[in-house]
Amino acid sequence: MKIKKKSIYVFICSFVGVTLTWFINHKMGYGAVIANGLVGVMAATFLPNDLAGITYTSSFVGMSSLSVIPSFAAAFLGSIIVGIIFLITAEIYAGIGGKGGTTAALSTIITKTIINFFS
Amino acid sequence: MEEVIILIVSIIAGIATYIVSNILNRGPVIASAIITLASGLMLPYFFPIIGDVLATAAACSSYAGMISVENALNPLEMAVISLLTGILFIAASSAYVGIGGRLGTIAAISCFAWLGFKKVFVGLDK
Repeated sequence: MKIKKKSIYVFICSFVGVTLTWFINHKMGYGAVIANGLVGVMAATFLPNDLAGITYTSSFVGMSSLSVIPSFAAAFLGSIIVGIIFLITAEIYAGIGGKGGTTAALSTIITKTIINFFS
Repeated sequence: MEEVIILIVSIIAGIATYIVSNILNRGPVIASAIITLASGLMLPYFFPIIGDVLATAAACSSYAGMISVENALNPLEMAVISLLTGILFIAASSAYVGIGGRLGTIAAISCFAWLGFKKVFVGLDK
């Protein structure tokens, strides 16, 4: 099976978006809103538009509270799930404000379900 | 009174994001991120008691402001969407707290509600 180059970029951006936001939010203690804003500004500054959008969408998963995403490993799992869902749903409802958040909410709930299943 | 301030902040954040994204053509990600970051830094400073809630409301509204110009034709439409977002934010304050993407989902519901309203009243869509 041939893996597309873009898919790899999506997963890298997802990983950076979720884990960096989670780290700024919980480990540095700046809170979810500032963490999301910082990651979004950095993504939009350093990445092309489509990859910045993926990173910003993933960042919403990192805004979760510690009761939902309790550890870095859980954030990593969340980043894989949001990457998969983003690849599947990229074409749906583009241009609607909040589409990224809805994708992130779905990913977060799936991640939480998996974590609950194994804990 | 707190609800009124939330609605005002929502409208301002939504319109500001829409202007930066669609009128200044900076793109939705940087527009939303800047408004979210600015509100996260400033609102808790100016409103020490309810600043965190206001910053969250502003972030929520800024996600709605990422809507494309084809779906919200002008800042007036964006103001209505932002108002809807603010109302939903207040109404859904206890739902799914701590789930990442909750605010974006509220924003998406507001956008869909407005698009549905426009579709019903076809004249507004032209």
